[in-house]
Amino acid sequence: MYRYDAIDKDFVADRAAEFREQVARRMAGEITEDQFKPIRLMNGLYLQLHAYMLRIAIPYGTLNSAKLRRLAHIARTYDKGYGHFTTRTNLQLHWIKLKDAPQILDELAEVGMHAMQTSGNCIRNVTADPYAGAAADELDDPRVWAELIRQWSTVHPEFSFLPRKFKIAVTAAAKDRTALRIYDIGLHLRHGREGEPGFEVRVGGGLGRTPHLSPTIREFLPARHLLSYLEAILRVYNRHGRRDNIWKARIKILVASLGAEEFARQVEEEWAKSNPARIDAPEAEVARIRASFAAQLETLPPRSEAVEALMAADPSFARFVKHNTHPHKQPGYAIVDVSLKVPGQTPGDMTDVQMETAADLAERYSQDEIRVNYTQNLILPHVKLDDLPEVWRALDAAGLATPNIDLVSDIIACPGLDYCALANARAIPVAQHIAERFADPARAEAVGELKIKISGCINACGHHHVGHIGILGVDKKGEEFYQITLGGSGEDDAALGSMLGPALPANKVAEAVEQMVEVYLRQRKEGERFLDTFRRTGVAPFKEAVYADAH
Amino acid sequence: MRALTGSRLADGEAVFWNAGRWVERFAQAELFDDVAAAEAAEADAKAQLTIVVDPYLIDVVESGEGWVPLSYRERVRALGPTNHPQHGKQAEGGADIEALAQASGAARSTGRLSLIKRK
Repeated sequence: MYRYDAIDKDFVADRAAEFREQVARRMAGEITEDQFKPIRLMNGLYLQLHAYMLRIAIPYGTLNSAKLRRLAHIARTYDKGYGHFTTRTNLQLHWIKLKDAPQILDELAEVGMHAMQTSGNCIRNVTADPYAGAAADELDDPRVWAELIRQWSTVHPEFSFLPRKFKIAVTAAAKDRTALRIYDIGLHLRHGREGEPGFEVRVGGGLGRTPHLSPTIREFLPARHLLSYLEAILRVYNRHGRRDNIWKARIKILVASLGAEEFARQVEEEWAKSNPARIDAPEAEVARIRASFAAQLETLPPRSEAVEALMAADPSFARFVKHNTHPHKQPGYAIVDVSLKVPGQTPGDMTDVQMETAADLAERYSQDEIRVNYTQNLILPHVKLDDLPEVWRALDAAGLATPNIDLVSDIIACPGLDYCALANARAIPVAQHIAERFADPARAEAVGELKIKISGCINACGHHHVGHIGILGVDKKGEEFYQITLGGSGEDDAALGSMLGPALPANKVAEAVEQMVEVYLRQRKEGERFLDTFRRTGVAPFKEAVYADAH
Repeated sequence: MRALTGSRLADGEAVFWNAGRWVERFAQAELFDDVAAAEAAEADAKAQLTIVVDPYLIDVVESGEGWVPLSYRERVRALGPTNHPQHGKQAEGGADIEALAQASGAARSTGRLSLIKRK
């Protein structure tokens, strides 16, 4: 993976030292909370219901064993022995003390980590395909471009005070695994007619109060011009974004109000005025970054007798292989999904001991690489098939081998009102109750692909708008209620969900999901997923099942 | 009836006002039936810049077992996260914790009187 050079190291260490001084001044009363708050937020430190929360950046979701071990150490030493992986592939620690925060940032800096740009109206952590460098359907390694964007956007003076926060996703495979269309900018790498790399550029996606899926503003941007074109987009946004109204400040509102065509025209005009040679990265720099991501993969037979034998002997292993492994571009390897979705437990939570187990496995079996997926699971991207039985046993012993990737119990849930100062309702217990109903792996498997996404408020950190079943917590007459949407997707068939009906009380949500699953199982045709059946039948049969009692 | 709450600067712990001091358990919070007294305490608390962050008044109501915060959000603050019962104040147990955990109904997502007023 990419390693910091001396400049990066000094910068991150200096920033941690600066924060130590700022915290001391705040504790001594030399600066007020109003003065301090923007400073702590620039360093990822929020104040929530029970304690401070530190959101640690994991650039494009890529970790190595040293970094994950350090996160485990911090979780054990300064928190309550666990962390929460988020839909932005960051790690949140929910029990942090202000007085410990400078020490934590120092310890993160030692392994090339920080919490910068995980808050505020700046370019946030860049997202990339979590299977990058491993996926069989990949045209290029998107991390090369994500790292370039990270370097360009880190404390970029022109883009540190945007109208609102700004998120960029990059994918370079046929299949989108980033939820590209809900990003402010979504970059999808393709090959041009001569085989040269370029990006389809989408702008203006986002969820929250006004969800939008991004339109394409340029079909093909030569990859070498990525940074100058991004700068042109950001300049148009910085100039015209609605700073007067926080609910209209995201770029999605600007793109929607101008129309994609007019927005694209303005970007092209801005780009034409710029000097791309000044901004675009030199080829040598791109090559240097690219070299840092090259995995050392061996030539292996495409089939492993050890895997085949254990699959035949142990149905649990067979189920794990079916749901938690994906094809690797190199024969003889697999991509292994590590589920953080044990039914009944908190989606995305991982203990310090589990982090160390995953770090050990990555170091020994996966080229020292671990990825964080926005679905709140981890990935070991480069596991030899022959090592798969051993990796599975170790994951299983650590409670990390639930065979449920993309199934009904693989639920996205934000921290919700159990932790978050913005939430209206809890999200985690709703996820727990639903997953418990589908805890039997055979039942979950029979239901097939079903993506449930839960948010505790309209800010939509749980991506509810793009869930096959989306669940939004609301405060209705002083009680926790939940609005259900159906038919959303964040993937290649992206769509925003449509409302099922009136909001349900908390104790009816899991039951309603079960009722909707029953409708699907009754109505599905050969090969249909839940989403396909819903799109064919429409909302009526689902609505009838859930609200039958009310008639 | 009202109580005064905030987050302790050093560690973010939810704390409650009692006669000029900050206590961690809601059961030990001072309850105000006099609006002027509550607002005077809030003003005093806001002057304690190095002790507490963002103090605010919340509504409390009588439940079967005693006084509890009206808002669900404030009850979560006074107890801890419901997904980890071993974390937060609830881990200490006791009759007062039990009363908070049993309280239901009449919840507002925010217990902040000032915000409610603004709406």
